[in-house]
Amino acid sequence: MIAPDRNIQPETITPTVGVIPEPERVILDGGVPVWLVGSGSEDLLRIEFVFDAGQIREKHHLAASTVNEMLTEGTELHDAVTLNGIIDHTGAMFTPVVDKDTAGLVVITLSRTLDRVMELAAEVLFHPSFPENEFRMLMERRVQRFLTNRQKTSVISREMFYNTLYGETPYGRISRLEDFKMMTTAVARAFHTEFYRPENLYITVAGKDPHRAIPALNKYFSAQKRDKKNTADVSQETVNKGREHIFSLMPDSVQSSIRIGWNGVCKNHPDFPALQIANTILGGYFGSRLMRNIREDKGFTYSIGSLAGSLRFAGFITIITEVANEYREQTLKEIIKEVNILRETKPSDEEMIMVRNQMMGEMARAFDGPFALAECLRGVLDHGLTVDYYRNFEETVKTISPDKIKELFNTYYNPEDAIEVIAGAK
Amino acid sequence: MVKFEKHILPNGLTVLAHYDATTPMVTTNILYRTGAKDEDPEATGFAHLFEHLMFEGSINIPVFDTPVIMAGGENNAFTTNDITNYYITLPAANIETAFWLESDRMLGLDLADGKLETQKRVVIEEYRQRYLNQPYGDLFLLLRPLTYKVHPYMWPTIGKDISHIEKADSASVTRFFKENYVPGNAILSVGGNIRPDQVFSLAEKWFGPVPAGEKKRRIIPQEPEQTARRELTVYRDVPADELLMAFHTGRRCDRDFYVLDLLTDLLAGCESGRFPNVLVREKEIFSEIDAYLTGDADPGLVIISGRLKEGVDIGRAEEAVNEELNLLHTTHATDFEIEKSRNRYESHHLMALISASNKAFNLAFHEHLGDAANINSESDKYMSVTPEEIIDTARRTFTPSNCSVVKYLAERK
Repeated sequence: MIAPDRNIQPETITPTVGVIPEPERVILDGGVPVWLVGSGSEDLLRIEFVFDAGQIREKHHLAASTVNEMLTEGTELHDAVTLNGIIDHTGAMFTPVVDKDTAGLVVITLSRTLDRVMELAAEVLFHPSFPENEFRMLMERRVQRFLTNRQKTSVISREMFYNTLYGETPYGRISRLEDFKMMTTAVARAFHTEFYRPENLYITVAGKDPHRAIPALNKYFSAQKRDKKNTADVSQETVNKGREHIFSLMPDSVQSSIRIGWNGVCKNHPDFPALQIANTILGGYFGSRLMRNIREDKGFTYSIGSLAGSLRFAGFITIITEVANEYREQTLKEIIKEVNILRETKPSDEEMIMVRNQMMGEMARAFDGPFALAECLRGVLDHGLTVDYYRNFEETVKTISPDKIKELFNTYYNPEDAIEVIAGAK
Repeated sequence: MVKFEKHILPNGLTVLAHYDATTPMVTTNILYRTGAKDEDPEATGFAHLFEHLMFEGSINIPVFDTPVIMAGGENNAFTTNDITNYYITLPAANIETAFWLESDRMLGLDLADGKLETQKRVVIEEYRQRYLNQPYGDLFLLLRPLTYKVHPYMWPTIGKDISHIEKADSASVTRFFKENYVPGNAILSVGGNIRPDQVFSLAEKWFGPVPAGEKKRRIIPQEPEQTARRELTVYRDVPADELLMAFHTGRRCDRDFYVLDLLTDLLAGCESGRFPNVLVREKEIFSEIDAYLTGDADPGLVIISGRLKEGVDIGRAEEAVNEELNLLHTTHATDFEIEKSRNRYESHHLMALISASNKAFNLAFHEHLGDAANINSESDKYMSVTPEEIIDTARRTFTPSNCSVVKYLAERK
């Protein structure tokens, strides 16, 4: 055999995303939309219930998360211990999920127990009983978690960052100990009645032959009375206040957590896909400018990254890192230096090819397998988009010019109006 | 059933191939049978430091990441006390890039100017981020030397003392490479959209020329039986007390592992376990409590860790855990409990094997423990555990003299 040439990379094809499958949409008898994503070889189904019941709907802080965590703490039919015994005995995994915009439940189940598991899902989602004793214990657990989080520099800097960006809105407010004391089962019950409603719900089903779930879903998710959707868009006032520097003293910490960021744009904004690419160059992958400079060259940190994210009604850009207190000032300077370079000089063609391939590879992996596909689907449905978003995204990755990258840095990453947040020791 | 084929190259490299046509991707997973337990007690943290250096370029390839990205791939690695594991996932058509990269870094590393010094700093920041700058972050740094007095499991992968990393020089790093990164000490497992015959011919082409080298023979001192209860109390600036209890048990491939896997699931694997029901809800001693196995290649531990509720005495908490463990000495688990654990195992087991990359890793892992084919008998072993075995194993494992306790107490300021 001829010895292989180790000095050049074997021939490769340019990574492509391939065909993005069109999910099928079925409407249950009661009107709830169900999205089906079929593929995979294992006998498992992943069923996700998504309600428009996230923190943006709160009048009382903590209501959304409290309701979500109380779903499996007892129902009109079963007390908490019995209920959890029945759920666990099916082998299914029930994971309540709550975020800023939505709340719901992810269920992963063996197909042989599908019918019973869907019946239990409907029971916890529509008939929780909010028993006082379980509520008290949950709030005590949450206070303990809250106090532990107060000691984490990464948590403090994250909270201060969003608070500076969004103020006292549901996207920005920071929990206080009093919030836990003021929460009641009456508040939770009222929130549940108002927002865990079939007109606020969509369902995704992913796995081998997802149609199998439809009869059970019809049986258990069509009975609830469906009204007109009662949730309106929430506009988020995000004013660019100009440069802000915020420091939170945590005297015992050996590292400082740094956040630098700006307002961004929402996923349905025409700049959003291009902004993802620009941000990837700065801090979105292992070969990014920030990783190469601050970790691989200087060794100041274990990790540094940048994120251009979108909530439903507001976008944000945030650079995140944890560094030793003594490297803090140098790290801040280097971050701003890297941002300024991208504002002044367009990236080289080589770097553009690299980031294009990085993003195409990332997309191809994100679509690999039914459970991954379901998560991609959620990523667009919550923003009122379809999978066409990904087709457009792919096109943008292929065609974006280095000039456009430079332009985006000048529009969105201005060091003069950056919010800079640090949590750490002196 | 995970189908696979196995082939051993003349230089000693074990190659496993699993074909899965449902994915457009391929994962190459390469497991080196070297972990923190293989380190010199005076130079700990090397296996993990080395994991970092493996991404800094090899003898013919100056930058590791660029070719992976150009091929549309992703890569990462992790180190445990037993192994160091590297993987690359990329489109099946670009598989050869992974063979090129992995074989070159088995041939030799490029440790030119300052790369070692930079990665030493990165690892020290990792140590601060994971262990020092987190509430409860040093719990396991305390537990290991309490439970192991002889066996190298006494230190964590980050090292016994961070000064070992600070002192690492290129001579000792090179020696570590020569002793451990040889074909006979590695298992290459490939899973995804590529046929086994192609895997084997690519393995011949790229790994065949790698010299067999000489694997250093190590004699790892085995931990003697623990004969008396051990206890360590520390005070830290945390909001709540934590109780950590550890019991010595057997190896990952022993029968006891499966019995204890079911037993810990029954205790704390899910919301309806005995611990959540009795110790969290009924007696309100803990706000959360977990029980699990370390699953190490050499004899490992069963660990119970619980966060105490405000105002509960830690001695009382330990007693309450022991009451539950003692029940297992005498009373059969119910049919409902055993059925529940079996059903949960079935779905979790399917979930763990859902991607080709997971299957590739799991094949390599079982090969490391003894035989890749065991991946397909795991289920049967778990499902055949009987209530009598649970009693027998509990009696042997949960004894006072086999227990080490860390009382991690909140400083009263």
